[in-house]
Amino acid sequence: MLNDIFNILLPQMALGVFILIQLVLSMILSPRFYKFSRLISIIGISLSVVLLSTVQTEPQYFGFKNSIMSDSYTLLFDFIILLCGFFTALLSRSLIRSRKRNAYTFQAILLSAVFGAMNIVSANDFITLFVSIELLSFSTYFLIAASKGYYSKEASFKYLLTSAIATGVFLFGVSYLYGITGSLNLSEIYEITATQETSLMYSIASILIAAGLLAKLAVFPFANWIIDVYKGCETSVLAFLSTIPKLAMFGILCRLLVFPLGSSFELTFVLVILSLVTALWANTYAIRENNVKVIFACSASANSSYVLLAASLVSVYNLSTVIFYLICYVLMNIAVFAFLNIYGDKNSMDVNSFKGFFHKNHGLTGAYAFSIIGLAGIPITSGFVAKIYLFTAIANSGLIFVPFLLALLILTVVALYYYLKVLLPLFGEYDKNTEVKLLNPVFSQKFVLYLTAIATLVLGLYPERVIELCRFIAYNI
Amino acid sequence: MEMFLSIPFLIFMPLVISLLIMSPLFTRNEIVIRRFVKGVCVFHFLYAILMLACFDPANPYVSEIHFFGLDWIQSLGVKFVFKIDAISMILTVLTSFVFLLASIASKLNIRKNHKFYYSMLLLLMSAILGIFTAGDMFLFFLFWELEMVPAYFLIAFGDNENAKASAMKFVLFTFLGSMVMLLGILLLHYYNYISNGILSATFSDIIDSSIPVGIQNLIAVCLIIGFAVKLPIVPLHTWLPDAHTNAPTPVSMILAGILLKTGAYGIFRFNYQTMPDSFTTIAPVLAVFALINIIYTAFIAYAQTDIKRIVAYSSISNMGLILLGLCAFNKLALTASVFHMVAHALVTCGLFMTAGIVYLRCKTRDINSIGGIASVMPRLFGFGVLIVLASIGIPMFAPFVSEILTMLGALNSELSEVIKFSAIFALPLLILSSAYMLKFLHCGFYGEIKPEFEKVNDISIHEFLILAAVSAGLIIFGIFPDALLSLAGGM
Repeated sequence: MLNDIFNILLPQMALGVFILIQLVLSMILSPRFYKFSRLISIIGISLSVVLLSTVQTEPQYFGFKNSIMSDSYTLLFDFIILLCGFFTALLSRSLIRSRKRNAYTFQAILLSAVFGAMNIVSANDFITLFVSIELLSFSTYFLIAASKGYYSKEASFKYLLTSAIATGVFLFGVSYLYGITGSLNLSEIYEITATQETSLMYSIASILIAAGLLAKLAVFPFANWIIDVYKGCETSVLAFLSTIPKLAMFGILCRLLVFPLGSSFELTFVLVILSLVTALWANTYAIRENNVKVIFACSASANSSYVLLAASLVSVYNLSTVIFYLICYVLMNIAVFAFLNIYGDKNSMDVNSFKGFFHKNHGLTGAYAFSIIGLAGIPITSGFVAKIYLFTAIANSGLIFVPFLLALLILTVVALYYYLKVLLPLFGEYDKNTEVKLLNPVFSQKFVLYLTAIATLVLGLYPERVIELCRFIAYNI
Repeated sequence: MEMFLSIPFLIFMPLVISLLIMSPLFTRNEIVIRRFVKGVCVFHFLYAILMLACFDPANPYVSEIHFFGLDWIQSLGVKFVFKIDAISMILTVLTSFVFLLASIASKLNIRKNHKFYYSMLLLLMSAILGIFTAGDMFLFFLFWELEMVPAYFLIAFGDNENAKASAMKFVLFTFLGSMVMLLGILLLHYYNYISNGILSATFSDIIDSSIPVGIQNLIAVCLIIGFAVKLPIVPLHTWLPDAHTNAPTPVSMILAGILLKTGAYGIFRFNYQTMPDSFTTIAPVLAVFALINIIYTAFIAYAQTDIKRIVAYSSISNMGLILLGLCAFNKLALTASVFHMVAHALVTCGLFMTAGIVYLRCKTRDINSIGGIASVMPRLFGFGVLIVLASIGIPMFAPFVSEILTMLGALNSELSEVIKFSAIFALPLLILSSAYMLKFLHCGFYGEIKPEFEKVNDISIHEFLILAAVSAGLIIFGIFPDALLSLAGGM
């Protein structure tokens, strides 16, 4: 047991230790020292990143009686999740300033969410998976509710209800699968389903399991939470919410689709339909919205659906495109929310209140605009390369998927419209009468924004190394 | 000499300068920025001329950029490769020339945000040069998409309220087209890979004959739809009159002079050259569309009262002629098409400049309320008459040569009778162009002058320079077409 911890679980354990430190400090330290909480989180996450080097990956390592595994795939996802956690912790400054009394608790919950997300990707057992998902979900409820005011509580409650239903659906599917195969272990289920003739019950179970996981991705049956949650959420929490649960869920979903659920043809069909419906819904919903947060909520949902379409047509090549898309996407998303964090949550989030920002501050607004251009998939950003790479995956999956791809491509035109709606006021003329709000970023916010924007540029011009890495990982799953 | 000629320098110099102008370190002084950009454009034009002078059609310039020893997206076989053959060379020089004219014309038309405007202008220049020289499908697509960003901002620079809406319309139309085009590119890339085993997106690596015929046609149609938005082909043309009318004059010159040609160039590069098998199948259908372009928009142009709209619709009509030349699928018609791209770029620059000058002086574009300004603006009138005569295809001017040759080429087409019939029907309808163009001249310049226009000034030295350059180009290519024809024919 101890051996297993040292071989695969050290990063998570480091996070666990730091969660305990935060909780203990929250009891003994006065709220005056709230600033240290962020520092401790950053140290914890950095330590965890360093400890990733101790994880056994060659070729795969199973620990805790096969319930947790590690390979290069989980290692990469852990790394990206930790990176996103790191950025979120950096951005959380303004939030913990307004809730000094709860600063340590907030950081502890953030770390536990990262902990849960990392465990989700590593899970090799439906029980472990379920517990990890619950850990992530519960942490997320509290993170959403962390900011002041009524809306965050409403958002948290909505998220709780949707997640609860989704978890129920997930467990229902797992129970069916257990009934069919007599096992909860992913490897064992894969061995059984790969050799035996699959039944309709298996397909139903697969669909239910996948649908349960889709809730966190805001894909169609459980998509409607995303609007209200994003509206009520603080931007640093959004930087978390739009990246870490998504990474974790795609991480495990791709593995499930390759192994235990891979034998179901109906599942692929259902997922393709769901992702198209989601893309249609999210993109058309955003057209008439003027709130920046809502527009990015729709964008998050739409991007999930693009990735889901590629992921559901399971192949090694598609998996590599999915991983690359996720990497590019989280970086752009964090840049966007870093800018909104600098702008401040108290200000109006209407698109027109951003008028003329570019003329006030070239650097920050330029980086923000660049990230939005990336989300829209216009060169020379990583979003362009990622979209092309993802769409090649769908085009290569067969002629039957060409109409779906065409629909998706046309929906990205709709997406461009709402991205432009956010982008264009930035370059407009600002009213001389109204005072243009000054952006007063602190170092950490500027650091996150510029770093992610530069990463977007570099990945757009020089994607080959990262694509190679993604291909290597996809081949080794 | 050869060592000084670098394609990446030619393409990326405007981009680098654009970033330089955008940077906070660069001066905000509008005069300095303007003169600097003009200097850059002059230098770029001279450089392009130098490349043209050293150009040998048998050895196209090829340049490949590696990133730390890797291709751009090596996993997809996508390379950062540029290739300048004869048609690219001609269009590159043309682009450089039109941007030079536009940068001169910008002085009188742009009154605010100089820094942003000029940096967007140079960015657009880089993107368009990239389109004309890209040797790889995905690289072509990259520049095709990139060009939308500066084009949006430039169109939105127009001084009326509709400019932003028109710019949005332009972007959405183009993006829709380019997404369908992307589907075509993805399919072509994939089927080329599984049919021929070559993982590459370079134009020269694509062998279309081994791809199944049905898929070839599907790909060709997807690509054509993408280019049809830019060209534009009639049902997809509605963005063009709005964008051209509401954009500032220099931007209208660029849009009509160069941007539309990217569509025709795309059809040439992808469909005509890379996938000839499927192009011969769909060429007759396209020829019918080209005929509709010529007739329909000529009638619409005649009905317009806004001078810029007349010119915009005449552009669509002329692009129909270029498309017809491509559809004929023989060397004569292709050469003539390329020639017409150059001739039409010159004509339309001159016409938009004339319209822009009139608008600047009279503050109206309504043809019925101008009238009689020939008496106060004799020099503009002189140039206006010259350019209008050139545009309706009077001998001794460049469009005459290209129109005649296009028709000849189309009549000699061996593909299908439909193309010949299209040419026969298009020929008399070219008379329509004289109808709307002479209306432009007649209503605008002749007649009694209105009292409010009696004090307007004649053209300034900048405007004189632009109109003189355009007229000189039209006359030179009209009298000595052979220099350009032999270069275009050397493909």
